[in-house]
Amino acid sequence: MTGSCSKRKNVKMSKTLTGLGAGLCVSLFLAAFGATAQPVYDPMRPSMSPLAPLATGPTAQGSQAELDPKLGNLPVGPGAEDTYYQCVGCHSTAIIRQQRLTDDRWDYLWTWMIDEQGMQEPEPEIAEQILAYLKTHFSSER
Amino acid sequence: MTDKITDGRSDKAEIADEPTRRTILKATGLTALGAYVGMNIPFEGNLMALAQGMSEEDIMSGKNGLVLLNDRPLNAETPAHLLDDDVTPYKHFFIRNNGFVPDSALDMDAEGWTLTIDGEVDTALELSIGELKSRFEEVTLRLVLECGGNGRAFFNPGASGNQWTTGAVGCADWTGVRLSDVLNAAGIKSSAVYTAHHSDDPHLSGDPDKEVISRGVPIEKALAEGGIIAWAMNGEPIPAVHGFPLRLVIPGYPGSASQKYVNRIQIRDQEHDGAKMTGYSYRVPAYPVAPGTEVPEEDMVVLTDMPVKSLITFPQSGAQAAAGEAMEVRGHAWSGSGDVASVDISIDFGATWTPAALEAPVNKFAWQRFRADVTLPQAGYYEVWARATDLNGVSQPPVVPGWNPRGYGNNMQHRIAMIAT
Repeated sequence: MTGSCSKRKNVKMSKTLTGLGAGLCVSLFLAAFGATAQPVYDPMRPSMSPLAPLATGPTAQGSQAELDPKLGNLPVGPGAEDTYYQCVGCHSTAIIRQQRLTDDRWDYLWTWMIDEQGMQEPEPEIAEQILAYLKTHFSSER
Repeated sequence: MTDKITDGRSDKAEIADEPTRRTILKATGLTALGAYVGMNIPFEGNLMALAQGMSEEDIMSGKNGLVLLNDRPLNAETPAHLLDDDVTPYKHFFIRNNGFVPDSALDMDAEGWTLTIDGEVDTALELSIGELKSRFEEVTLRLVLECGGNGRAFFNPGASGNQWTTGAVGCADWTGVRLSDVLNAAGIKSSAVYTAHHSDDPHLSGDPDKEVISRGVPIEKALAEGGIIAWAMNGEPIPAVHGFPLRLVIPGYPGSASQKYVNRIQIRDQEHDGAKMTGYSYRVPAYPVAPGTEVPEEDMVVLTDMPVKSLITFPQSGAQAAAGEAMEVRGHAWSGSGDVASVDISIDFGATWTPAALEAPVNKFAWQRFRADVTLPQAGYYEVWARATDLNGVSQPPVVPGWNPRGYGNNMQHRIAMIAT
Protein backbone atom coordinates (compact mmCIF):
# COMPACT_ATOMS: atom_id res chain seq x y z
CA MET A 1 0.00 0.00 0.00
CA THR A 2 2.80 2.37 0.92
CA GLY A 3 4.50 1.78 -2.37
CA SER A 4 1.40 2.66 -4.30
CA CYS A 5 0.89 5.77 -2.26
CA SER A 6 4.36 7.14 -2.63
CA LYS A 7 4.23 6.41 -6.33
CA ARG A 8 1.11 8.50 -6.54
CA LYS A 9 2.86 11.59 -5.26
CA ASN A 10 4.80 11.72 -8.50
CA VAL A 11 1.83 11.25 -10.76
CA LYS A 12 1.28 14.28 -12.95
CA MET A 13 -1.97 16.09 -12.42
CA SER A 14 -3.24 14.94 -15.77
CA LYS A 15 -2.99 11.34 -14.61
CA THR A 16 -4.48 11.94 -11.22
CA LEU A 17 -7.72 10.10 -11.84
CA THR A 18 -6.01 6.89 -12.81
CA GLY A 19 -3.52 7.27 -10.00
CA LEU A 20 -6.16 7.75 -7.39
CA GLY A 21 -8.17 4.84 -8.69
CA ALA A 22 -5.20 2.52 -8.54
CA GLY A 23 -4.24 3.70 -5.08
CA LEU A 24 -7.73 3.14 -3.79
CA CYS A 25 -7.97 -0.30 -5.37
CA VAL A 26 -4.80 -1.50 -3.71
CA SER A 27 -5.76 -0.04 -0.36
CA LEU A 28 -9.24 -1.49 -0.45
CA PHE A 29 -7.89 -4.88 -1.38
CA LEU A 30 -5.57 -4.89 1.61
CA ALA A 31 -8.28 -3.57 3.89
CA ALA A 32 -10.65 -6.32 2.81
CA PHE A 33 -8.20 -9.14 3.27
CA GLY A 34 -6.29 -7.68 6.19
CA ALA A 35 -9.29 -7.92 8.48
CA THR A 36 -9.38 -11.23 10.31
CA ALA A 37 -11.75 -10.61 13.22
CA GLN A 38 -15.36 -11.59 12.75
CA PRO A 39 -17.52 -8.48 12.40
CA VAL A 40 -19.25 -7.51 15.61
CA TYR A 41 -22.93 -6.51 15.61
CA ASP A 42 -23.19 -2.76 15.13
CA PRO A 43 -25.91 -1.26 17.35
CA MET A 44 -25.93 1.91 15.23
CA ARG A 45 -26.57 0.13 11.95
CA PRO A 46 -29.64 1.73 10.38
CA SER A 47 -32.48 -0.78 10.03
CA MET A 48 -32.37 -0.05 6.33
CA SER A 49 -28.77 0.49 5.35
CA PRO A 50 -28.46 3.94 3.81
CA LEU A 51 -25.97 2.61 1.32
CA ALA A 52 -27.78 -0.63 0.83
CA PRO A 53 -28.05 -0.68 -2.96
CA LEU A 54 -24.33 -1.36 -3.04
CA ALA A 55 -24.71 -4.54 -1.09
CA THR A 56 -28.23 -5.44 -0.07
CA GLY A 57 -30.90 -3.25 -1.49
CA PRO A 58 -34.16 -1.83 -0.20
CA THR A 59 -35.70 -2.57 -3.53
CA ALA A 60 -38.76 -4.37 -4.72
CA GLN A 61 -36.48 -7.13 -5.90
CA GLY A 62 -34.97 -7.44 -2.44
CA SER A 63 -31.33 -7.87 -1.66
CA GLN A 64 -30.54 -9.75 -4.83
CA ALA A 65 -31.33 -6.90 -7.24
CA GLU A 66 -28.80 -6.92 -10.03
CA LEU A 67 -26.91 -3.67 -10.39
CA ASP A 68 -25.79 -2.26 -13.71
CA PRO A 69 -22.24 -0.88 -13.48
CA LYS A 70 -22.69 0.87 -16.84
CA LEU A 71 -25.58 2.81 -15.33
CA GLY A 72 -23.86 3.95 -12.17
CA ASN A 73 -24.86 0.77 -10.31
CA LEU A 74 -28.56 1.49 -10.58
CA PRO A 75 -30.63 -1.69 -10.20
CA VAL A 76 -31.44 -3.36 -13.51
CA GLY A 77 -35.05 -2.80 -14.54
CA PRO A 78 -37.43 -0.93 -16.84
CA GLY A 79 -36.55 2.76 -16.74
CA ALA A 80 -33.00 2.34 -15.48
CA GLU A 81 -31.37 3.78 -18.58
CA ASP A 82 -33.71 6.79 -18.82
CA THR A 83 -33.26 7.42 -15.12
CA TYR A 84 -29.48 7.33 -15.44
CA TYR A 85 -29.26 9.81 -18.31
CA GLN A 86 -31.90 12.10 -16.83
CA CYS A 87 -30.17 12.34 -13.46
CA VAL A 88 -26.42 12.30 -14.02
CA GLY A 89 -26.52 15.60 -15.84
CA CYS A 90 -26.52 17.16 -12.39
CA HIS A 91 -25.56 14.56 -9.77
CA SER A 92 -24.20 11.07 -9.51
CA THR A 93 -26.36 7.99 -8.92
CA ALA A 94 -24.96 7.78 -5.38
CA ILE A 95 -27.62 10.14 -4.05
CA ILE A 96 -30.41 8.19 -5.78
CA ARG A 97 -29.17 4.90 -4.42
CA GLN A 98 -29.35 6.21 -0.84
CA GLN A 99 -33.07 7.00 -0.97
CA ARG A 100 -36.08 5.06 0.36
CA LEU A 101 -38.99 7.45 0.13
CA THR A 102 -42.73 7.54 -0.02
CA ASP A 103 -44.31 7.97 -3.46
CA ASP A 104 -45.50 11.43 -2.42
CA ARG A 105 -41.94 12.49 -1.62
CA TRP A 106 -40.70 11.27 -5.02
CA ASP A 107 -43.44 13.28 -6.71
CA TYR A 108 -42.41 16.33 -4.70
CA LEU A 109 -38.70 15.87 -5.41
CA TRP A 110 -39.40 15.56 -9.12
CA THR A 111 -41.25 18.90 -9.15
CA TRP A 112 -38.58 20.50 -6.94
CA MET A 113 -35.80 19.43 -9.29
CA ILE A 114 -37.63 20.96 -12.26
CA ASP A 115 -38.83 24.15 -10.52
CA GLU A 116 -35.84 24.89 -8.31
CA GLN A 117 -32.84 22.97 -9.51
CA GLY A 118 -32.89 23.53 -13.26
CA MET A 119 -33.70 19.97 -14.31
CA GLN A 120 -34.95 19.68 -17.87
CA GLU A 121 -38.37 18.11 -17.95
CA PRO A 122 -38.46 15.02 -20.17
CA GLU A 123 -41.36 13.93 -22.36
CA PRO A 124 -44.37 12.88 -20.22
CA GLU A 125 -44.04 9.15 -20.96
CA ILE A 126 -40.32 9.19 -20.12
CA ALA A 127 -41.05 11.12 -16.92
CA GLU A 128 -43.67 8.57 -15.96
CA GLN A 129 -41.25 5.70 -16.53
CA ILE A 130 -38.47 7.33 -14.50
CA LEU A 131 -40.77 8.09 -11.59
CA ALA A 132 -42.12 4.55 -11.68
CA TYR A 133 -38.56 3.24 -11.62
CA LEU A 134 -37.60 5.44 -8.65
CA LYS A 135 -40.74 4.50 -6.73
CA THR A 136 -40.10 0.83 -7.40
CA HIS A 137 -36.46 0.64 -6.41
CA PHE A 138 -35.95 3.41 -3.86
CA SER A 139 -39.12 3.25 -1.86
CA SER A 140 -40.18 3.07 1.75
CA GLU A 141 -43.53 1.73 0.62
CA ARG A 142 -42.63 -1.47 -1.17
CA MET B 1 0.24 40.57 3.74
CA THR B 2 -0.78 38.76 0.62
CA ASP B 3 -4.07 37.03 0.04
CA LYS B 4 -2.63 34.76 -2.58
CA ILE B 5 -1.89 31.44 -0.96
CA THR B 6 0.79 29.28 -2.43
CA ASP B 7 2.44 26.15 -1.22
CA GLY B 8 5.76 26.69 -2.89
CA ARG B 9 4.91 24.72 -6.01
CA SER B 10 5.57 26.60 -9.21
CA ASP B 11 4.63 24.02 -11.80
CA LYS B 12 1.90 26.17 -13.25
CA ALA B 13 2.36 24.63 -16.67
CA GLU B 14 1.29 21.26 -15.38
CA ILE B 15 -2.07 22.54 -14.28
CA ALA B 16 -2.76 24.81 -17.21
CA ASP B 17 -5.37 22.44 -18.60
CA GLU B 18 -7.10 21.92 -15.28
CA PRO B 19 -10.19 24.08 -15.84
CA THR B 20 -10.83 22.29 -19.10
CA ARG B 21 -10.56 18.90 -17.50
CA ARG B 22 -12.79 19.90 -14.63
CA THR B 23 -15.37 21.19 -17.04
CA ILE B 24 -15.39 17.92 -18.92
CA LEU B 25 -15.75 15.96 -15.71
CA LYS B 26 -18.65 18.08 -14.59
CA ALA B 27 -20.35 17.82 -17.95
CA THR B 28 -20.04 14.07 -18.35
CA GLY B 29 -20.50 13.06 -14.78
CA LEU B 30 -17.53 10.74 -14.94
CA THR B 31 -15.62 10.76 -11.72
CA ALA B 32 -13.02 8.34 -10.53
CA LEU B 33 -14.53 8.39 -7.07
CA GLY B 34 -17.88 7.04 -8.17
CA ALA B 35 -16.81 3.45 -7.73
CA TYR B 36 -16.00 4.05 -4.08
CA VAL B 37 -19.33 5.36 -2.87
CA GLY B 38 -20.25 3.69 0.40
CA MET B 39 -16.71 2.67 1.16
CA ASN B 40 -14.14 4.03 3.54
CA ILE B 41 -11.60 6.06 1.64
CA PRO B 42 -8.12 5.05 2.73
CA PHE B 43 -5.53 7.67 3.51
CA GLU B 44 -2.97 8.05 0.79
CA GLY B 45 -0.39 9.54 3.09
CA ASN B 46 -0.07 12.84 1.29
CA LEU B 47 -1.84 16.12 1.38
CA MET B 48 -2.64 16.58 -2.27
CA ALA B 49 -5.80 18.36 -1.17
CA LEU B 50 -3.69 21.29 -0.09
CA ALA B 51 -1.81 21.44 -3.36
CA GLN B 52 -2.60 23.86 -6.11
CA GLY B 53 -4.61 22.89 -9.10
CA MET B 54 -6.28 19.87 -7.60
CA SER B 55 -9.58 18.44 -8.72
CA GLU B 56 -12.46 17.35 -6.50
CA GLU B 57 -11.12 13.80 -6.72
CA ASP B 58 -7.86 14.92 -5.17
CA ILE B 59 -9.73 16.19 -2.14
CA MET B 60 -10.56 12.71 -0.98
CA SER B 61 -6.90 11.72 -1.05
CA GLY B 62 -6.38 14.11 1.86
CA LYS B 63 -9.19 12.55 3.84
CA ASN B 64 -8.59 9.49 5.96
CA GLY B 65 -11.21 6.81 6.58
CA LEU B 66 -14.27 8.86 5.70
CA VAL B 67 -17.28 7.06 4.22
CA LEU B 68 -18.12 8.52 0.83
CA LEU B 69 -21.88 9.03 0.53
CA ASN B 70 -21.87 10.92 -2.75
CA ASP B 71 -19.13 11.72 -5.25
CA ARG B 72 -20.99 14.47 -7.13
CA PRO B 73 -21.52 16.62 -5.18
CA LEU B 74 -18.94 15.49 -2.63
CA ASN B 75 -20.42 14.26 0.63
CA ALA B 76 -18.55 12.08 3.11
CA GLU B 77 -18.98 11.31 6.80
CA THR B 78 -16.57 10.35 9.56
CA PRO B 79 -16.82 7.10 11.55
CA ALA B 80 -17.25 7.87 15.27
CA HIS B 81 -13.88 6.45 16.35
CA LEU B 82 -12.07 8.81 13.96
CA LEU B 83 -13.58 11.81 15.77
CA ASP B 84 -11.69 11.13 19.01
CA ASP B 85 -9.41 14.19 18.75
CA ASP B 86 -10.31 17.28 20.77
CA VAL B 87 -9.78 19.26 17.57
CA THR B 88 -10.93 17.44 14.44
CA PRO B 89 -8.04 17.44 11.96
CA TYR B 90 -8.63 18.19 8.29
CA LYS B 91 -8.22 14.55 7.30
CA HIS B 92 -11.14 13.55 9.53
CA PHE B 93 -13.47 16.49 8.93
CA PHE B 94 -16.72 15.52 7.20
CA ILE B 95 -17.64 16.97 3.81
CA ARG B 96 -21.09 18.31 3.00
CA ASN B 97 -21.19 20.06 -0.36
CA ASN B 98 -24.32 21.25 -2.12
CA GLY B 99 -22.56 22.18 -5.36
CA PHE B 100 -19.13 22.05 -6.87
CA VAL B 101 -15.97 23.33 -5.25
CA PRO B 102 -15.12 26.60 -7.06
CA ASP B 103 -11.98 26.58 -9.19
CA SER B 104 -10.61 29.51 -7.17
CA ALA B 105 -10.74 27.31 -4.08
CA LEU B 106 -9.23 24.29 -5.85
CA ASP B 107 -6.40 26.59 -6.95
CA MET B 108 -6.21 28.17 -3.46
CA ASP B 109 -6.30 31.51 -5.25
CA ALA B 110 -7.78 34.33 -3.16
CA GLU B 111 -6.53 37.10 -5.43
CA GLY B 112 -9.01 39.95 -5.48
CA TRP B 113 -11.50 38.24 -3.14
CA THR B 114 -13.86 40.65 -1.43
CA LEU B 115 -16.67 40.35 1.09
CA THR B 116 -19.63 42.67 0.64
CA ILE B 117 -21.92 43.65 3.53
CA ASP B 118 -25.05 45.37 2.26
CA GLY B 119 -28.81 45.61 2.58
CA GLU B 120 -30.31 46.97 5.79
CA VAL B 121 -27.08 48.66 6.91
CA ASP B 122 -26.03 52.28 7.36
CA THR B 123 -22.91 51.91 5.22
CA ALA B 124 -22.39 49.08 2.77
CA LEU B 125 -18.89 47.61 2.99
CA GLU B 126 -16.69 45.88 0.46
CA LEU B 127 -13.75 44.39 2.30
CA SER B 128 -10.67 42.63 0.96
CA ILE B 129 -9.34 39.78 3.05
CA GLY B 130 -6.46 42.08 3.97
CA GLU B 131 -8.89 44.71 5.21
CA LEU B 132 -10.82 42.14 7.23
CA LYS B 133 -7.56 41.15 8.89
CA SER B 134 -6.37 44.70 9.55
CA ARG B 135 -9.63 46.38 10.57
CA PHE B 136 -11.03 43.82 12.98
CA GLU B 137 -9.78 41.87 15.98
CA GLU B 138 -8.63 38.37 15.08
CA VAL B 139 -10.17 35.56 17.09
CA THR B 140 -9.69 31.79 17.13
CA LEU B 141 -12.63 29.75 18.36
CA ARG B 142 -13.15 26.01 18.62
CA LEU B 143 -16.58 25.48 17.08
CA VAL B 144 -18.70 22.45 16.29
CA LEU B 145 -20.11 22.23 12.78
CA GLU B 146 -22.85 19.67 12.32
CA CYS B 147 -25.01 19.01 9.29
CA GLY B 148 -28.70 19.49 10.05
CA GLY B 149 -29.29 16.06 8.51
CA ASN B 150 -26.80 14.17 10.68
CA GLY B 151 -28.65 11.01 11.75
CA ARG B 152 -31.07 11.12 8.81
CA ALA B 153 -30.34 7.46 7.99
CA PHE B 154 -32.31 6.34 11.05
CA PHE B 155 -35.65 7.85 10.06
CA ASN B 156 -38.34 5.50 8.81
CA PRO B 157 -39.85 6.04 6.30
CA GLY B 158 -36.70 7.44 4.82
CA ALA B 159 -36.12 11.15 4.43
CA SER B 160 -34.61 12.47 1.23
CA GLY B 161 -31.00 13.58 1.12
CA ASN B 162 -27.65 12.08 2.03
CA GLN B 163 -28.14 9.29 4.53
CA TRP B 164 -25.81 10.50 7.28
CA THR B 165 -25.50 8.17 10.26
CA THR B 166 -23.50 9.86 13.04
CA GLY B 167 -20.52 11.34 11.26
CA ALA B 168 -21.64 14.67 9.78
CA VAL B 169 -20.03 16.55 12.65
CA GLY B 170 -16.61 17.93 13.50
CA CYS B 171 -15.03 20.50 15.80
CA ALA B 172 -12.15 22.56 14.44
CA ASP B 173 -10.27 25.68 15.49
CA TRP B 174 -11.52 28.50 13.26
CA THR B 175 -9.61 31.77 12.94
CA GLY B 176 -11.16 34.95 11.62
CA VAL B 177 -13.08 37.96 12.84
CA ARG B 178 -16.33 38.15 14.76
CA LEU B 179 -19.32 38.34 12.46
CA SER B 180 -20.88 40.82 14.90
CA ASP B 181 -17.86 43.17 14.66
CA VAL B 182 -18.11 43.33 10.88
CA LEU B 183 -21.90 43.73 10.83
CA ASN B 184 -21.74 46.45 13.50
CA ALA B 185 -19.06 48.26 11.48
CA ALA B 186 -21.59 48.47 8.65
CA GLY B 187 -24.26 49.60 11.11
CA ILE B 188 -27.32 47.41 11.41
CA LYS B 189 -30.55 49.28 10.78
CA SER B 190 -33.58 48.72 13.01
CA SER B 191 -35.31 47.24 9.95
CA ALA B 192 -32.86 44.30 9.89
CA VAL B 193 -34.49 40.89 10.36
CA TYR B 194 -32.32 38.23 8.78
CA THR B 195 -28.95 37.67 7.10
CA ALA B 196 -28.61 36.30 3.58
CA HIS B 197 -25.34 34.56 2.74
CA HIS B 198 -23.96 34.37 -0.78
CA SER B 199 -21.05 32.54 -2.37
CA ASP B 200 -19.70 31.67 -5.80
CA ASP B 201 -19.74 27.88 -5.84
CA PRO B 202 -21.01 26.47 -9.16
CA HIS B 203 -24.50 24.95 -9.30
CA LEU B 204 -24.77 21.27 -10.22
CA SER B 205 -26.97 22.11 -13.20
CA GLY B 206 -24.22 24.28 -14.68
CA ASP B 207 -26.54 27.29 -14.70
CA PRO B 208 -24.26 30.22 -13.77
CA ASP B 209 -27.26 32.26 -12.58
CA LYS B 210 -28.35 29.70 -10.00
CA GLU B 211 -27.12 29.88 -6.42
CA VAL B 212 -26.15 26.50 -4.95
CA ILE B 213 -27.26 27.48 -1.49
CA SER B 214 -27.98 30.82 0.11
CA ARG B 215 -29.06 30.60 3.69
CA GLY B 216 -29.19 33.05 6.56
CA VAL B 217 -29.91 33.41 10.27
CA PRO B 218 -32.03 35.79 12.35
CA ILE B 219 -30.11 39.03 12.91
CA GLU B 220 -30.04 38.31 16.67
CA LYS B 221 -28.20 35.05 16.01
CA ALA B 222 -25.78 36.75 13.59
CA LEU B 223 -24.88 39.31 16.27
CA ALA B 224 -24.64 36.74 19.08
CA GLU B 225 -21.49 35.22 20.56
CA GLY B 226 -19.75 32.57 18.48
CA GLY B 227 -20.32 33.56 14.86
CA ILE B 228 -17.17 34.35 12.88
CA ILE B 229 -15.98 35.05 9.36
CA ALA B 230 -13.08 32.63 9.11
CA TRP B 231 -10.06 32.34 6.84
CA ALA B 232 -8.20 29.60 8.71
CA MET B 233 -9.07 26.12 9.94
CA ASN B 234 -6.73 24.55 12.48
CA GLY B 235 -4.13 27.24 11.78
CA GLU B 236 -4.01 26.74 8.00
CA PRO B 237 -5.84 28.50 5.18
CA ILE B 238 -9.30 26.91 4.99
CA PRO B 239 -8.95 23.91 2.66
CA ALA B 240 -10.76 24.08 -0.69
CA VAL B 241 -13.58 21.73 0.19
CA HIS B 242 -14.30 23.54 3.47
CA GLY B 243 -14.71 26.99 1.97
CA PHE B 244 -11.44 28.66 0.90
CA PRO B 245 -10.77 31.54 1.17
CA LEU B 246 -13.56 32.74 3.47
CA ARG B 247 -16.45 31.06 5.18
CA LEU B 248 -18.93 31.77 7.89
CA VAL B 249 -19.00 29.64 11.00
CA ILE B 250 -22.25 30.19 12.89
CA PRO B 251 -22.21 27.52 15.59
CA GLY B 252 -25.31 25.96 17.09
CA TYR B 253 -27.30 26.18 13.88
CA PRO B 254 -27.30 23.55 11.11
CA GLY B 255 -24.00 23.63 9.23
CA SER B 256 -25.73 25.08 6.17
CA ALA B 257 -25.95 28.44 7.98
CA SER B 258 -22.13 28.55 7.83
CA GLN B 259 -21.77 29.53 4.18
CA LYS B 260 -18.56 28.41 2.45
CA TYR B 261 -16.80 30.58 -0.16
CA VAL B 262 -18.75 33.54 1.27
CA ASN B 263 -18.47 36.78 -0.71
CA ARG B 264 -21.57 38.67 0.38
CA ILE B 265 -23.64 39.00 3.52
CA GLN B 266 -26.84 40.81 2.76
CA ILE B 267 -28.98 42.10 5.62
CA ARG B 268 -32.66 41.69 4.88
CA ASP B 269 -35.88 43.09 6.33
CA GLN B 270 -37.58 39.68 6.17
CA GLU B 271 -36.73 36.02 6.65
CA HIS B 272 -34.33 35.16 3.82
CA ASP B 273 -35.87 33.21 0.95
CA GLY B 274 -32.69 32.15 -0.88
CA ALA B 275 -31.78 28.73 -2.22
CA LYS B 276 -32.53 25.99 0.33
CA MET B 277 -34.22 28.40 2.76
CA THR B 278 -37.70 27.58 1.52
CA GLY B 279 -39.87 24.53 0.87
CA TYR B 280 -38.68 21.57 2.93
CA SER B 281 -34.96 22.41 3.00
CA TYR B 282 -33.62 22.80 6.54
CA ARG B 283 -37.18 23.08 7.77
CA VAL B 284 -39.25 20.98 10.15
CA PRO B 285 -43.02 20.76 10.69
CA ALA B 286 -44.45 23.43 12.99
CA TYR B 287 -46.29 20.65 14.88
CA PRO B 288 -45.62 16.95 15.63
CA VAL B 289 -46.47 14.62 12.75
CA ALA B 290 -46.72 10.86 12.37
CA PRO B 291 -43.90 9.24 10.35
CA GLY B 292 -44.53 9.54 6.62
CA THR B 293 -46.97 12.45 6.86
CA GLU B 294 -47.12 14.82 3.90
CA VAL B 295 -46.80 18.21 5.58
CA PRO B 296 -47.97 21.28 3.60
CA GLU B 297 -45.07 23.58 2.72
CA GLU B 298 -46.62 26.50 4.59
CA ASP B 299 -46.50 24.47 7.81
CA MET B 300 -42.72 23.99 7.64
CA VAL B 301 -40.57 26.26 9.82
CA VAL B 302 -36.84 26.99 9.70
CA LEU B 303 -34.62 24.67 11.76
CA THR B 304 -32.64 26.81 14.22
CA ASP B 305 -30.74 25.49 17.28
CA MET B 306 -29.41 21.95 16.84
CA PRO B 307 -30.37 19.57 19.67
CA VAL B 308 -28.10 18.32 22.48
CA LYS B 309 -25.97 15.40 21.37
CA SER B 310 -23.01 13.18 22.22
CA LEU B 311 -20.79 10.70 20.44
CA ILE B 312 -18.67 7.89 21.85
CA THR B 313 -15.33 8.17 20.07
CA PHE B 314 -13.31 5.63 22.08
CA PRO B 315 -13.21 2.71 21.95
CA GLN B 316 -14.30 1.86 18.43
CA SER B 317 -17.60 -0.02 18.35
CA GLY B 318 -16.89 -3.74 18.62
CA ALA B 319 -13.84 -3.35 20.87
CA GLN B 320 -12.92 -6.06 23.32
CA ALA B 321 -12.37 -5.50 27.05
CA ALA B 322 -11.40 -7.78 29.91
CA ALA B 323 -14.41 -8.67 32.05
CA GLY B 324 -14.24 -7.21 35.54
CA GLU B 325 -11.63 -4.62 34.66
CA ALA B 326 -12.24 -0.90 34.29
CA MET B 327 -11.83 0.53 30.82
CA GLU B 328 -12.08 4.14 29.73
CA VAL B 329 -14.91 5.13 27.41
CA ARG B 330 -14.81 8.68 26.10
CA GLY B 331 -16.27 11.02 23.56
CA HIS B 332 -17.68 14.49 23.01
CA ALA B 333 -20.93 16.25 23.83
CA TRP B 334 -22.32 19.45 22.36
CA SER B 335 -25.53 21.41 22.07
CA GLY B 336 -26.91 24.00 19.69
CA SER B 337 -27.74 26.25 22.62
CA GLY B 338 -24.13 26.30 23.68
CA ASP B 339 -23.38 24.18 26.72
CA VAL B 340 -23.90 20.67 27.97
CA ALA B 341 -24.62 20.14 31.67
CA SER B 342 -23.89 16.43 32.01
CA VAL B 343 -23.27 13.14 30.23
CA ASP B 344 -24.37 9.76 31.54
CA ILE B 345 -23.28 6.31 30.45
CA SER B 346 -25.21 3.04 30.47
CA ILE B 347 -23.93 -0.49 29.90
CA ASP B 348 -27.34 -2.13 30.37
CA PHE B 349 -29.42 -0.71 27.50
CA GLY B 350 -30.43 2.36 29.45
CA ALA B 351 -31.76 0.51 32.50
CA THR B 352 -29.24 2.30 34.78
CA TRP B 353 -27.03 5.31 34.14
CA THR B 354 -23.72 6.46 35.63
CA PRO B 355 -22.44 10.05 35.38
CA ALA B 356 -19.38 10.58 33.19
CA ALA B 357 -16.73 13.20 33.94
CA LEU B 358 -17.45 16.18 31.69
CA GLU B 359 -14.89 18.84 30.85
CA ALA B 360 -15.85 22.48 30.37
CA PRO B 361 -15.71 23.69 26.75
CA VAL B 362 -12.64 25.78 25.80
CA ASN B 363 -15.15 28.31 24.51
CA LYS B 364 -18.91 28.40 23.99
CA PHE B 365 -19.97 26.05 21.16
CA ALA B 366 -16.83 23.88 21.39
CA TRP B 367 -17.63 20.27 22.08
CA GLN B 368 -16.92 18.98 25.56
CA ARG B 369 -14.89 15.88 26.38
CA PHE B 370 -16.54 13.24 28.55
CA ARG B 371 -14.84 10.24 30.10
CA ALA B 372 -16.13 7.31 32.11
CA ASP B 373 -14.60 4.09 33.35
CA VAL B 374 -16.82 1.15 32.56
CA THR B 375 -16.44 -2.34 34.00
CA LEU B 376 -18.20 -5.07 32.10
CA PRO B 377 -19.19 -7.68 34.73
CA GLN B 378 -18.88 -10.94 32.78
CA ALA B 379 -17.86 -12.22 29.37
CA GLY B 380 -20.30 -11.42 26.60
CA TYR B 381 -21.90 -8.71 24.47
CA TYR B 382 -22.52 -5.25 25.87
CA GLU B 383 -23.62 -1.95 24.51
CA VAL B 384 -22.33 1.31 25.87
CA TRP B 385 -24.84 4.13 25.49
CA ALA B 386 -24.17 7.82 26.02
CA ARG B 387 -26.75 10.46 26.96
CA ALA B 388 -26.01 14.17 27.14
CA THR B 389 -28.22 16.67 28.97
CA ASP B 390 -28.19 20.40 28.29
CA LEU B 391 -28.44 23.28 30.76
CA ASN B 392 -32.24 23.25 30.44
CA GLY B 393 -32.42 19.64 31.58
CA VAL B 394 -33.20 18.40 28.07
CA SER B 395 -31.59 15.03 27.25
CA GLN B 396 -31.02 12.89 24.19
CA PRO B 397 -33.85 10.42 23.55
CA PRO B 398 -33.12 6.67 23.34
CA VAL B 399 -35.02 6.40 20.04
CA VAL B 400 -35.23 8.51 16.89
CA PRO B 401 -37.04 11.73 17.80
CA GLY B 402 -39.92 13.28 15.85
CA TRP B 403 -40.06 12.21 12.24
CA ASN B 404 -39.90 15.05 9.74
CA PRO B 405 -39.98 14.98 5.94
CA ARG B 406 -36.29 15.82 5.46
CA GLY B 407 -34.88 13.95 8.45
CA TYR B 408 -33.34 16.75 10.48
CA GLY B 409 -32.31 16.95 14.11
CA ASN B 410 -31.90 13.28 15.01
CA ASN B 411 -30.08 13.33 18.34
CA MET B 412 -30.84 9.80 19.51
CA GLN B 413 -28.34 8.35 21.99
CA HIS B 414 -25.16 6.95 20.47
CA ARG B 415 -24.43 3.30 21.17
CA ILE B 416 -21.34 1.18 20.67
CA ALA B 417 -20.82 -2.56 21.01
CA MET B 418 -18.25 -3.88 23.47
CA ILE B 419 -17.24 -7.49 23.87
CA ALA B 420 -16.10 -8.56 27.35
CA THR B 421 -13.65 -11.47 27.36
